[in-house]
Amino acid sequence: MIRKIMTILVLIALIAGTATATGTSESDSQSTDVVFRWATTTDPQTMDPHAVNAAPVLSFLNNIYEGLVRRNEQMDIEPSLATSWEPLSDGDGWRFFLREGVTFHNGDAFTADDVLFSYERGTSETSDVTSWFAPVTDVVVVDDFTVDILTSAPNPLFPDSIANWMIMSRSWAEENASTAPATDQENFATRNANGTGPFVLSSRSPGVETRLVPNTAWWDDLEHNLSEAIYTPIENQSTALSALLSGEIDLVNPVPLQDVDRVEAAPGFTVLGGLETRVIMLGFGHEKEQLDYSTDVTGVNPFQDVRVRQAVYQAINVDDIINVVMRGQAEPASQLLPAGLSGYSIVNDDRLPYDPVASRRLLTEAGYPNGFSFGLMCPNDRYLNDEAVCRAVTSMLADVGLQAELTTHPVRNYWGELREDAYDMYLLGWSPGTFDAEHPIRFLVSTPNEEARLGSWNYGGYSNARVDELLPEIQSELDPATRQAQIDEIAAIIQDDVVYVPMYTQPLIWAMADSVDLVQRPDNFFMLRWVNVN
Amino acid sequence: MGFYVLRRLSQSVFVMLAVAFLAFALFRFAGDPVMQMTGVETPPEQQQAIREQLGLTDPFVAQFTRFVGELLRGDFGFSFRTRQPVAEMIRDALPATGELGLVAMAISLLVGIPAGMLTALRPKGFASQSVLLMTLVGVSLPTFVTGIVLIFLFGVVLGWLPTFGRGQTVSIGWWTSNLLARGGWRSLILPALSLALYQLTLTMRLVRAQMMEVLRTDHIRFALARGVPRWRVYVRHALPNSLIPVMTVIGLQFGGIIAFSIVTESVFQWPGLGLLLLRSIRFVDVPVMSVYLVFIGLLFVIINLAVDLLYAVVDPRVRIRSGE
Repeated sequence: MIRKIMTILVLIALIAGTATATGTSESDSQSTDVVFRWATTTDPQTMDPHAVNAAPVLSFLNNIYEGLVRRNEQMDIEPSLATSWEPLSDGDGWRFFLREGVTFHNGDAFTADDVLFSYERGTSETSDVTSWFAPVTDVVVVDDFTVDILTSAPNPLFPDSIANWMIMSRSWAEENASTAPATDQENFATRNANGTGPFVLSSRSPGVETRLVPNTAWWDDLEHNLSEAIYTPIENQSTALSALLSGEIDLVNPVPLQDVDRVEAAPGFTVLGGLETRVIMLGFGHEKEQLDYSTDVTGVNPFQDVRVRQAVYQAINVDDIINVVMRGQAEPASQLLPAGLSGYSIVNDDRLPYDPVASRRLLTEAGYPNGFSFGLMCPNDRYLNDEAVCRAVTSMLADVGLQAELTTHPVRNYWGELREDAYDMYLLGWSPGTFDAEHPIRFLVSTPNEEARLGSWNYGGYSNARVDELLPEIQSELDPATRQAQIDEIAAIIQDDVVYVPMYTQPLIWAMADSVDLVQRPDNFFMLRWVNVN
Repeated sequence: MGFYVLRRLSQSVFVMLAVAFLAFALFRFAGDPVMQMTGVETPPEQQQAIREQLGLTDPFVAQFTRFVGELLRGDFGFSFRTRQPVAEMIRDALPATGELGLVAMAISLLVGIPAGMLTALRPKGFASQSVLLMTLVGVSLPTFVTGIVLIFLFGVVLGWLPTFGRGQTVSIGWWTSNLLARGGWRSLILPALSLALYQLTLTMRLVRAQMMEVLRTDHIRFALARGVPRWRVYVRHALPNSLIPVMTVIGLQFGGIIAFSIVTESVFQWPGLGLLLLRSIRFVDVPVMSVYLVFIGLLFVIINLAVDLLYAVVDPRVRIRSGE
């Protein structure tokens, strides 16, 4: 008797959770509304467009705020809040003609004063986007719909460099005491937004969920069919994939390379693969006088010899890395930016071939016929399969006698290690923020100079007088052919000196339901204005 | 009794200070928060200015005393990453973890105690043997594996239950509840089951062992010999006696559930304290990490104290021994 009751109790308790769940499969969504849900791994930490110059924030806020210019599907600059622009005839800089009749989400009219305010806000002490305005000397409101932006020298690229400079309403910021990005504690603009863009922030729960609804008063033609967009950060990638496959999420970015086949095999889902604008490369300590992690070389740094750097280059079989580690989803890279971007040097398109024999010969010439040992530093959570790539590199280098001792760090420790020169060779990925060849030269190649804000990511301290001389010229050269010739010259120097070993352009892997139609931009920005759910 | 509580509470202050000190000492190896707060184009001197402004360049002792001083004044600081007040972040995450923990606890007790009795009373029976076998699986599978298997089965293949997040919630003051929301409990089932599985096996095996021991004692044999109905002997006399040690362990385990539901919360993207901690570690959000650890320290101290007090309430011998 008791035994029976207890058995039944146990059984009931065991199945209670699952059995009762069957009754609730009715959906809680309305029928006609098109709700789009998407997930990425990193929640944008702020809704303030001038507080953090990081991709998760800028990508998200580009749906809410707008700049004077914007990028289209092909990444080309096109009019946004400015309808046209021209170089100033008297003096250096640009004149922008603004779009009339645009209102912010709260109803405020958009005028030239808001542009001036957004410049002041973007250059304020607590702004993280000041680097965009380095060449700017002044912003002058000519009339309500004309603004002059003065620069210290001719700046042909300026309109291209401000696509992420988002315009905020002066009156809204002043009313809500948010005239500068928050420092210690959040201000109103940290969790609220008031842009002119295609979507309005309707609710925000940091780290949990953020909802957007279309801006019914948007100035441009609608290309999407959404009535609501819901963003959820899902940090665990297998959870995100399950959420996609169970139909709770319409799009997941990124999908781990090893799960691509699984998504493609599932009916009703597609993988959208493309190339990101990020080149993965190996860097050297050009300034280091000795190796820190070698067991057999003391007192010298063999990597200061260009033959040794070229030996490293030719010992790495990039095609194998792409096919095996990156599952065929990446493209070989010969320069510090991917082919096709503005300023890419076509004459320097060829990579040095994979050639272990040449590599050994170069090492012999340099005085290391049996190679040597050194430390390779890599991040393990920053780039796609970064640690696996470094392991592959390590074994390829071992084939020519270079014994790399691999150390990996999470990205939160990695940059600090590089800054303290705790490496002999390191892995770096770079995506040019302006999508122009000048960007990696300025950050990765020019001689580090804090005051001039040059070479801030040139950890190895590479220095070449000719590069430093050419950089200001390519920044201000107005004639495209002359400018390209200057860039070609720098690209050739970088290749001949093997300043870095560019390996491949990293892929973008998004997975989504078949019913979703959208545009995948190479900068990995997710633009809701092109999303259609059928 | 009052003196005892007071003494325990004063001890707990030192426990929490020690926790805070250890945590602070470790944070220096957690990474550089400023690189996480700024973009790639931020010039190094601006980063250095932020570092100085946040007081990260101060000596360790100065940082620690400032932190303790602010805590004492009730100032929990602001997140480096989101700039939200840390107290508010913890308050927002607490209901999610609290409900998850309570439901997991309830499942483990409601299933674990009857199952433990069953396996003790009929150790050779088929039902007992299969339950024991199942618990072996439960105790040996890591939580993230059971979580992923549950998600895959009930979320992806069968499509019965949500795979992530809290779904529907209602707010009662600052507390957000799944249980009281229409349909909200559906989101709770999988994470709670996944979290409960280990507790359940533990409870069941403890109850079983205790029960078997109690059943061998004289007063049970005597009661049975006198012809007291079996169910009455088991439920009225054997069960309460076997529950005393179980209660201690379960109480301590509850602290563990709250503090360390990290894996479950990560697998189910459950927006509770565990996820908050993981995120703050990922972005080196020192203020959140430090306040979290101190808070968990406080929680453990309170639960330990409550268990000790309950023990005295339930077991008369403890009261008599302490002379009250």
